[in-house]
Amino acid sequence: MKNPSSLFWPKLALRELLNNQRFSLFFLFNLALGLAGFIALDSFKESLDVHLGKNSQTILGADLALTSYVPIDDQTLRKLESNFPESTLSTQKISLFTMVASKERSVLVQVTGIEEEFPFYGRLILEKGGTVQPQFIRQNLDMRGDAWIYPELFTMLDIKEGGSVVIGEKSFPVTDSVIDDPSSSLSSFGLAPRIYLGLSDILETGLLSKKSRVSYQHLYRFPDETDLTVLVGTLKNKIRKFDGSYSKIRVLTHKRAANNLGRVMGYLNDYLGLVALIAVFLAGIGAAYLFRNYLVHRFREMSILMSLGATRQQTYRLVLWQLGLLGTGAALISIIISLGILPLLEILLEQFLPRGFETQVNVSSLIFALVLGSIGSLVFCLPVLTRIRSVQPLRLLHENTGNHEVEVSLWSQALSYLPLIILSWLLSVWQSHSLIVGSTFVGMLLLAILILGTLAWGILMFAGKLSQTSGNTIKRLAFRNLQRNRAGAISCFLALALGTLLINLIPQIYQGIQEEISRPDDYRIPSLFLFDIQPEQLDHLQNILAEENTQLNYISPMVRARLEKVNGTKYKSEFEEGLRTREQEREQGFRMRTLNLSYRTRLSDSELIVEGRQLAENYDWNSGSMAEVSLEERFAERMGLKLGDLLTFNVHEVPVEAKVVNLRKVKWNSFQPNFFILFQPGVLEQAPATFLASLGGLDKTRRMYFQNLIVNEFPNVSVIDVTRTVERVLKISDQMVLALRFMAYLSIMAGLVVVFSIARHEVEGRLWELNLLKVLGAKFSDIQKMIQIEFAVLGIYAGIFGVGLSLVMSYGIAWWFFENLWEWTWQISLASVAGVTTLSVAVAWLATRRTLRISPLNLLRSS
Amino acid sequence: MLLEINQLYKSFPQADHGQIDVLKNINLEIHEGETVAVVGQSGSGKSTLLSLMAGLDRQSSGSLRLREQEISEMSELKLTQFRAENIGIIFQQFYLMPHLTALENVSLPLEMFGNKDHQKRAKEALLQVGLSEREQHFPHQLSGGESQRVAIARAVVTRPSILLADEPTGNLDNETGVHVANLLFDLVQTTGMTLLLVTHNMEMALRCSRQLTLQFGTFQ
Repeated sequence: MKNPSSLFWPKLALRELLNNQRFSLFFLFNLALGLAGFIALDSFKESLDVHLGKNSQTILGADLALTSYVPIDDQTLRKLESNFPESTLSTQKISLFTMVASKERSVLVQVTGIEEEFPFYGRLILEKGGTVQPQFIRQNLDMRGDAWIYPELFTMLDIKEGGSVVIGEKSFPVTDSVIDDPSSSLSSFGLAPRIYLGLSDILETGLLSKKSRVSYQHLYRFPDETDLTVLVGTLKNKIRKFDGSYSKIRVLTHKRAANNLGRVMGYLNDYLGLVALIAVFLAGIGAAYLFRNYLVHRFREMSILMSLGATRQQTYRLVLWQLGLLGTGAALISIIISLGILPLLEILLEQFLPRGFETQVNVSSLIFALVLGSIGSLVFCLPVLTRIRSVQPLRLLHENTGNHEVEVSLWSQALSYLPLIILSWLLSVWQSHSLIVGSTFVGMLLLAILILGTLAWGILMFAGKLSQTSGNTIKRLAFRNLQRNRAGAISCFLALALGTLLINLIPQIYQGIQEEISRPDDYRIPSLFLFDIQPEQLDHLQNILAEENTQLNYISPMVRARLEKVNGTKYKSEFEEGLRTREQEREQGFRMRTLNLSYRTRLSDSELIVEGRQLAENYDWNSGSMAEVSLEERFAERMGLKLGDLLTFNVHEVPVEAKVVNLRKVKWNSFQPNFFILFQPGVLEQAPATFLASLGGLDKTRRMYFQNLIVNEFPNVSVIDVTRTVERVLKISDQMVLALRFMAYLSIMAGLVVVFSIARHEVEGRLWELNLLKVLGAKFSDIQKMIQIEFAVLGIYAGIFGVGLSLVMSYGIAWWFFENLWEWTWQISLASVAGVTTLSVAVAWLATRRTLRISPLNLLRSS
Repeated sequence: MLLEINQLYKSFPQADHGQIDVLKNINLEIHEGETVAVVGQSGSGKSTLLSLMAGLDRQSSGSLRLREQEISEMSELKLTQFRAENIGIIFQQFYLMPHLTALENVSLPLEMFGNKDHQKRAKEALLQVGLSEREQHFPHQLSGGESQRVAIARAVVTRPSILLADEPTGNLDNETGVHVANLLFDLVQTTGMTLLLVTHNMEMALRCSRQLTLQFGTFQ
């Protein structure tokens, strides 16, 4: 005997699916809807990666940059440049954040000084001057001392073209506006608009010596054949050997610059992906339910095949082919649906996207969709596949005696869920780029399913009890149906409850954060936040404000330093290997940071010691004891520091040792000047410092008045309008939440498709008995009422428990991540329960009305 | 000797941890080309005996040899192959694949084992049962009698050594039943195939060369 042709099983599988069109269509649509959001997001991410990859040189404006917060002297620069190929081109860029003022107004901007070769890749485009050629920069910025500003500054500063702006100690005529800047970060979400000056002019502003943070960047363009990886390695090795500030020179490649730019979007994408994963999960539940019923009805055909000579393995092969075909089909449909979602995502996330970004469907996304569709459908249905073991051709014989049930062991059943858990975990970790977030997500999802599943079981048992006591026949039958069709009822319940959980969770968390950011309890948000105040300016500034009957609050010194050693061992500030997870990215960010130290006699209201003791009063240099330092709890965790550690800081090339005596919790949303590292008084007073402070209780007019006053008198002092910043943060988070909600609605839609499929399937499975009820005298309305009661019970309980669980989870998340910013918005909860119940009943009505209307005669004939 | 059964027992476990003996000490010999009817009341063990002969179930004890090979000693894989080569089964409820045409249903057992002539032989089998004009029809487009004739064609298309029929006319009206029975016996006679028939229908049983009555799990 030979094996059949290679196409025999796939052909047979396809024929069976085509013969069961209704099941196939529901399965395909159900899974496709769940996958669509996920696929769209993947395409979106791919497009972003492709865009950033293609434009990385334009984003940096060069192949490589050496950046430092202190000017790099010629000798050091020559040492580094000696490694570069001969025909390397170079240019310089200096940027800093500062206030600029017009006659009436002032605003925080990023001032960037450039030379004529900037940028090596891409071109600035001006409103009037068009594409900027190198000599144009020399003629206009360097020689004439013009300023080019971002268009929004015309409104913000209330000036017109030809007007002037004061930056530091110098006034600059504004001759043009920049309408396209390839090196700018995001479309509209930037910290501050930019102003371009000639490099020599920025030196003349007098700000470079008075600013706490100035970025000096040397940009290079190499010949095409240059191996950047080798070059970067050589440069890093050399920099490591430098002393002092020069050991902190950063080597920034164009690829790294593009990655940095994509990071904000990356974080948002991570969470959107997790929400989309819930839609996949809901669709998976529906698909598994549908497939289970399909499979049970196919047992007879399988028995026939086996009686004709097919082995059990061959029947598995047939079913696997069917799942593969369905999964692939669903993936193809999901690709089509995702083409519709992609433009919506682009609109929703516009603010976070780089300029010139366009979405496109990539081959890798298509492959991913196909793989996820086929493997996903298989993995979700695997627990159902174990039932094939109970297929017995023996059952085909008319007179069957004895018990032929093949028991599937508990272990086999449990093991069949393992691939599903592993796939979900892998997808979550991959999606969130974080082992912790991904694992927590899957853990919470499984826990939610377990809790909701148990609750559903309890409700169905209770329904069974009610069916014995209820006096009303229709109600009794409805309750009895719920109890006996457990698989369908629990699947519906899970789909509805998980959807409700998700839809309620996002606004619940957001509401808490929003409430806290806009109106934190116990704290008054300052109106203006001042930084870069020089020590010699402090008294004068206070006097001027006193004349205006106001005063500076929370004046805090800020000393810049680097962490050199922990317990005598050199502190590693950079990872050698590539960064793989978000945690590593964040930790790297933290480690590379230049630290801001401060000192206080006592903690502010927004701080609380969680471990250790208070800092001692005043440090006595002659005591021989160690200076004391307090660390913010999460900062210490991320830096790998703990209570009792001995830290060695480099404070302007002076080593300062201190012992960690306490860990603090800081309420950052108080908007008070707070620091990760606080020294006891008496240690840092002699170190060069700038001061931070705030002004409170000012209305809009007074805020602008004081802002202008300070900028005119102290051009180097930067002022942030806190109220406007809070509004901006809320606007940005609104946009993020909108995108997350969009994905959540997609999930609830996937859940409703599941309910629709199950309702229809259940009713079709019960046609015979429904028909019997009709023959026995039940009215159409009675039967419809019975179905509605079933789905109303499922809807209302799924709503209540989904909301309940979302409240618990949102509280947990708020407590863990956002320092307990939680507030119950009962309106959302109530609306969720009502909405889910109504939708459940409506969808069930839609799914069953046609079938229920069929005449009993037709039903008898068809059965 | 085609089939030889010695001291065959089959029992099933019961819910109360006891067991029920469905077949007790069955001994039977069937020669090639013989037609044998097994009759008996419902629950007498007829179908259980058939299931053991078809290799669909395993006996509790005793021996069952077909073509001098002990069925109970075969692995499931070997048994599946052996069944496909040597045994044709006709069921009371026809059991055709609903999504396949009559021709595809008949060619299925051949196609499953990579027979290149499956189409030709299936057409011949349908011709033998007088349904060559219905070969492109699906089961739902066929009458009960036609469906059973397709099932018979499917059972004989592999040219098995023995044909096992489980109440082949049980789902048909009298007239159609007689028609299908005629066809079955004609086919067996023409091809020289061995037939073991399980039936309630004494008229049909009497058309076989030998009749055995099964009562309480043993031959009377």
